[in-house]
Amino acid sequence: MIYIVEDLINGILMGSIYGLTALGLTIIFGVLKVINFAHGSLLMVGMYVAYWAVSLSGLHPYLTLLLVVPVMYLFGYYLQDIVIKPIFKAERDVREPITVIIVTTGVWYILDNLTLLIFGPQYRSIQDNPLRGKMLEIGEMMISVPKLWGFFAAIITAGSVYWFLQKTRTGRAIRATSLDRDAASLMGIKQYRVYNIAFGIGTATAGIAGVTLVPFYNVFPTVGVLFDIKGFIIVVLGGLGSIGGAILGGIIIGVIESVGPQFMTATWTEAIVYGLFLLVLFAKPSGLFGVKYEW
Amino acid sequence: MKGRKISQNVFRGILVAICVCSLIFFAGTPSLAGPEVVKIGNIIPLSGPSASVGQQGKQVREMAVEEINAAGGIKSLGGAKLEMLYADSESKPEKGVAEAERFINTEGVHVLTGCWNSAVTYPTTAVAERYGIPFVVPVSVADKITEQGFKTVFRIAAKDSWWTRDQFAFLEDMEKEFNTKVKRLAFVYENGDWGKGFAGQWKELAKKGGYEVVLDEPYPSTATDLSPVVQKIKRARPDVLMLVSNAADAILLTNTLAEYKVKLKAIIASGGGHADPSFLEASGKNARYIFDIVEWETDVNKPGAKEANAKYKAKYGQNLTGEAVDAYLAMYVLKDALERAGSVDPAKIREALAATNLRGGPGMIVGYPAVEFDKTGQNKHAALVMVQINDIGKGIERITVWPKEARRAGYTPVFPMPEN
Repeated sequence: MIYIVEDLINGILMGSIYGLTALGLTIIFGVLKVINFAHGSLLMVGMYVAYWAVSLSGLHPYLTLLLVVPVMYLFGYYLQDIVIKPIFKAERDVREPITVIIVTTGVWYILDNLTLLIFGPQYRSIQDNPLRGKMLEIGEMMISVPKLWGFFAAIITAGSVYWFLQKTRTGRAIRATSLDRDAASLMGIKQYRVYNIAFGIGTATAGIAGVTLVPFYNVFPTVGVLFDIKGFIIVVLGGLGSIGGAILGGIIIGVIESVGPQFMTATWTEAIVYGLFLLVLFAKPSGLFGVKYEW
Repeated sequence: MKGRKISQNVFRGILVAICVCSLIFFAGTPSLAGPEVVKIGNIIPLSGPSASVGQQGKQVREMAVEEINAAGGIKSLGGAKLEMLYADSESKPEKGVAEAERFINTEGVHVLTGCWNSAVTYPTTAVAERYGIPFVVPVSVADKITEQGFKTVFRIAAKDSWWTRDQFAFLEDMEKEFNTKVKRLAFVYENGDWGKGFAGQWKELAKKGGYEVVLDEPYPSTATDLSPVVQKIKRARPDVLMLVSNAADAILLTNTLAEYKVKLKAIIASGGGHADPSFLEASGKNARYIFDIVEWETDVNKPGAKEANAKYKAKYGQNLTGEAVDAYLAMYVLKDALERAGSVDPAKIREALAATNLRGGPGMIVGYPAVEFDKTGQNKHAALVMVQINDIGKGIERITVWPKEARRAGYTPVFPMPEN
């Protein structure tokens, strides 16, 4: 019984971090109506920024958020502004422009291979850090402290993004654009600036996810791919565009991955995750927590 | 006027004739051994999950080929240089097959080498066999690669049934040497050809040795969280944990095992990820006391080994690994075969490779005495050593411990693992 509780807690913690890695994907899709295939690479860039910030300064990983968040926001903002916007403009009449998806795939390949070129294929992980390897021991139960931090980071990030979208003027502009970009433009909202901001926010959340992963995971050029596939499943499970859905979708996957192996071999949990994914696609294509109406 | 014109024509004719003759003469003799190049196609994982080992494979090949070319190339081919072509398999079987087709049909390579991942090497050797192109396999260890009845496949490394055999022989020797009984074994391995191949043999060897298998757990190599697997290990309470891992998961497993304070008598790994140089850097002191099986270690007692390692380290900043040494040796095995073949005809190269009996020279920095292929194309002399990862005052390093005669002087292995 205690085992189940222990696994459940680990699953919820790890799952919320998965949700955080997928958050940017869902934000960017919600506003731009584009699946961002470069999202894993943005996560990878965030991990490298966090890794270097932590290992060069020796600070607590979460202090590097002060650096990582603005750097990643600007990176995303200008990536959209310089690379993706021109393609959008070329296809302004299409609701879900396919070429933009192809461009994000290109960005993915370029970022991954650029990293491989600059930093080499080595696996890196931070040593001698206040968070690394810390465990909370409650009786026989062990809870990973870095994952606990990750859980709070995920909840706070999702909460603040939600608050920002609901309560601020810019947030309202973003929501308006995501509902109907033409009507929003007619109301005087600068559509492409909103896109830039949304892409910046999505990238910044990938940076936050990078910071939460660095204390217990290793960094290498193709690390994004591992989280990418999970990210797509999470986002579809939770409902594309839904912020709470991303976190809940992540937790569902985390719990399956964590509790499942106690009853079967670990490879089978993957089959369950994909099976659930297909089931949701059949039964409720808008996702478990997706909105029913058209955006 | 007319006569002069004729004589002019005759003169021109003679001139042309002399030119043609001299051309034939000069072109004639050297063209038999003209400065051709020997094209070697290398299919290795340069990106994707095994990019780290792929890059090392490329660097070490470059180093060997530079040496060979600088020393005058292939002398029986008039000093022909080796030309290296690389293709990225991304660790994907279908990429390996496609690149082999391209190398043979478009690039016209004379020899192929690769592919590190057994799952890639297995179908790719079939392409080489179909076209009759010799295929030198430095490291892919799956037994079945040399058991397809192919004529063109030559493997330098020991095959995986030899690895598992030696892992159990090592375990029994340790039990005797340190008077510690081991009963409960846990097998945890990546869910690919390589891991499953090892696990299958472990199960038989465990039955033969009278051990009890308390956990038999494959896991996906792409796992982003291995704490569920580590929890299973902890709850199964094994004495010895045996692992087959790629690099990212080896690091994650080692760190997670330390976090959950799993108590074990020993961890025995199977090279691959555990032999990757970045494994030691990324797992640090958590990697202490792990035993790993390899073909080569930097402290191996063999002429030229230290120098080759120093050269590689100066050039690329890392120590050579057993797998890199296999690739290094593969280039010298090829050079030796090409010298004896005296031709770039694939069939002749194959004959020469089959007759290989390399016992010395710059490439022979491996622990065993010779390279000689049996009928299946397996190097029958390939042998293995066990190392222990430990810090004895010079930072974390890999120390040869088994067989006992190869053990580093003055080192006593730590077995069982101390409880800290």
